[in-house]
Amino acid sequence: MSTAAERAAQLDLVARLRSAYPELPDAPTPDMLDHDRITAYLKPVHDVGGEPDAPMKYENKQYEEWEHMTYVICEVLGWRGIWLSEERRRMGNVDVGRAEYLGLPYYGRWLLAVARILVEKHHIGLTELSERMAEVQERYAGGLDGKTLEAQPKSEGDGSQVKRNSHAEEADGKGDPQCYGGQAAAAKFKIGDPVVVRELPVIFYTRTPEYVRGATGEIEAVAYESPAAEDETWDRPARPEWFYVVKFNMADLWYGYTGTKDDVISTEIPEHWLEAAK
Amino acid sequence: MTEHDHDHDHDRTVAPMVDEITDFEVLEIALRELCIEKGIFTAEEHRLMTEFAEQIGPTPAAHLVAKAWLDPEFKKLALAEPMTASKEVGVDWLHPTGWGTPSDFTAFQILADTPTVHNVIVCALCSCYPRPILGNSPEWYRTPNYRRRLVRWPRQVLAEFGLYLPDEITVHVQDSNQKHRFMVMPMRPEGTDDWTEDQLVEILTRDCLIGVALPKAGVKTNMITDTRPAIHPGNAG
Repeated sequence: MSTAAERAAQLDLVARLRSAYPELPDAPTPDMLDHDRITAYLKPVHDVGGEPDAPMKYENKQYEEWEHMTYVICEVLGWRGIWLSEERRRMGNVDVGRAEYLGLPYYGRWLLAVARILVEKHHIGLTELSERMAEVQERYAGGLDGKTLEAQPKSEGDGSQVKRNSHAEEADGKGDPQCYGGQAAAAKFKIGDPVVVRELPVIFYTRTPEYVRGATGEIEAVAYESPAAEDETWDRPARPEWFYVVKFNMADLWYGYTGTKDDVISTEIPEHWLEAAK
Repeated sequence: MTEHDHDHDHDRTVAPMVDEITDFEVLEIALRELCIEKGIFTAEEHRLMTEFAEQIGPTPAAHLVAKAWLDPEFKKLALAEPMTASKEVGVDWLHPTGWGTPSDFTAFQILADTPTVHNVIVCALCSCYPRPILGNSPEWYRTPNYRRRLVRWPRQVLAEFGLYLPDEITVHVQDSNQKHRFMVMPMRPEGTDDWTEDQLVEILTRDCLIGVALPKAGVKTNMITDTRPAIHPGNAG
């Protein structure tokens, strides 16, 4: 049981966690926000490419058992048709919001995405999940104390009534994106074509990085057919389209680029984000 | 935590009396139990995927590059049909589900360095990485720091790994942000003329295949060797 002082101390801790512009009050009135700031708030938080940052010490990390198990559970849920990889990528990398995105460990976000998908798709109830968490806590109340981290399911369900997507079946023996082959309209661009990345409004999700939007590049490869990430991430029917690897000259792409005039960056972009460069 | 009016920090100076289970461990166990009880997946399926995940690592990728260095025909295959070439080093991209590892997709490309172009990979959006052939990505590859900076200041970031590229070499950053997975095939270094495949494999470290290092005779370890220990370590990575 927590004390009143401990509850107050935790609230103090939470109150110091900032994920908003410090010059603005919380929940500013509409007249206090301009387009650029609204865009910044709505930007999918995984899209960090090009944000300024200072060098840090790069390290390896020995895997925690739960990190490994989290990776496994995510893959098994994909395999068994509970979610598409694209749903996982949105739920764990974007839907968590900026504070959790920057504040939690990498696999912590994956694990929250597992809880999110199972609750949102009605596979488990949030009440039963919290009860089970309390039960697991109780099981290890004295700490590990020689025990191993171990799941102890009380039974094994038959699973025949579990609602699953059809992706596993459609991709079986082919792979993804190969399972979408032959479904897109004819490719609009070919290798060498100059293209401009459209500046479509973005809310909720995209995998077209902000740093190339509005920039001119060149088609480096006509890659494969797939539904756009913005649709696939909600597992809704969407006609596949061609994806392209697009190459950009760094000196043109980045204001004040410090490398050479020939350095390039390539990234993959779906057709509906591209238009022919004039 | 209770309030202390003395100034030392118990967390830092005294070993914990209780080896507490962490919040994420509690959540992971609870979710796994409920999934099995409801038949969302079986314990057997979970075990199969665990076994698969425990055996992936960078060795097949190193063999693939070493073979390509030794055999120009295999190099052509590796660049034209990288998933076919992967099979020759024991990696079937459709394993273990029949349609691949769901998070990695099955579109793979190998970027060959040349005397004038150096390739390096990143995923600025998450951590896309050719897991089936190169194992799990290192922690630093997934940091927002590497992802923010490599796409914009690649030469500075590479210098932090000890890789200083002359201006005559063009940097090609590959931001792997959708379904393609990439790895780098570096140039064969000097002083390795009569080497066998196994000898070459020893200098083809994971970092060389990401593109943050170049293979060199005598160098058999990654640039980044410091490793944060786990609280409760698992069997992978």
